[in-house]
Amino acid sequence: MDLTGPIHDILVVFLGSALILGSLGVVLFTNPIYSAFSLGLVLVCISLFYILLNSYFVAAAQLLIYVGAINVLIIFAVMFMKGSEYSNDFYLWTVGDGVTSLVCTSILFLLITTISDTSWYGIIWTTKSNHIIEQDLISNVQQIGIHLSTDFFLPFELISIILLVALIGAITMARQ
Amino acid sequence: MMFEHVLFLSAYLFSIGIYGLITSRSMVRALMCLELILNSVNINLVTFSDLFDNRQLKGDIFSIFVIAIAAAEAAIGLAIVSSIYRNRKSTRINQSNLLNK
Repeated sequence: MDLTGPIHDILVVFLGSALILGSLGVVLFTNPIYSAFSLGLVLVCISLFYILLNSYFVAAAQLLIYVGAINVLIIFAVMFMKGSEYSNDFYLWTVGDGVTSLVCTSILFLLITTISDTSWYGIIWTTKSNHIIEQDLISNVQQIGIHLSTDFFLPFELISIILLVALIGAITMARQ
Repeated sequence: MMFEHVLFLSAYLFSIGIYGLITSRSMVRALMCLELILNSVNINLVTFSDLFDNRQLKGDIFSIFVIAIAAAEAAIGLAIVSSIYRNRKSTRINQSNLLNK
């Protein structure tokens, strides 16, 4: 969205902090229902991020599919399994947990260092010179529709076949 | 300078997802952390599509496909978990070798 500077920054900070706390909640809550609802919060915040990044169709798809279908499916599965793992609560910090947290922290610092050291402004400057102003006549959703039905038509049909196969497979696995 | 913070958030979600995926004792929690990883990749794709590619939106369309694949995989994963739970009455990961037979 073409919001002014401070509103944009405040929204990014707010959504970012909700995202950080929600993802910590997914991993660290012992009750699986709390963890599933934290995942729902993370997915809604990501959808609002997509609105800030001018991708309105992906934001709507994220809200409908991820929050509306996948998160509801996860909550059904969590409620269906009577959680036996928070009654025998031996949540000790094992050696494997420590090694994994060390490795994940090092991955995070490696990625942050790489992102900070990349000179993005050189790449932005060479690609912004190709933009023509008249493309704002077609909105983002219309452009996605045009490209899905002309350039990316084959992956679109293959995705529908994949979804059909996944549906049949899931019903076969979960039957009887 | 602003979009680098979005990339930092995506890297943070990715590393938290990997940590949760490796150290979770329940299969449903592992599937939830897998969704976190896929969402972090989607944020990266959409950020770069907004920044560089306003004509063809390749990143946006690829992230739509990633969302569809993640939906299919979550459905199948939860079907497998529910059938393992029906047979073993437990959702610990170290007891999920039922598909070996």
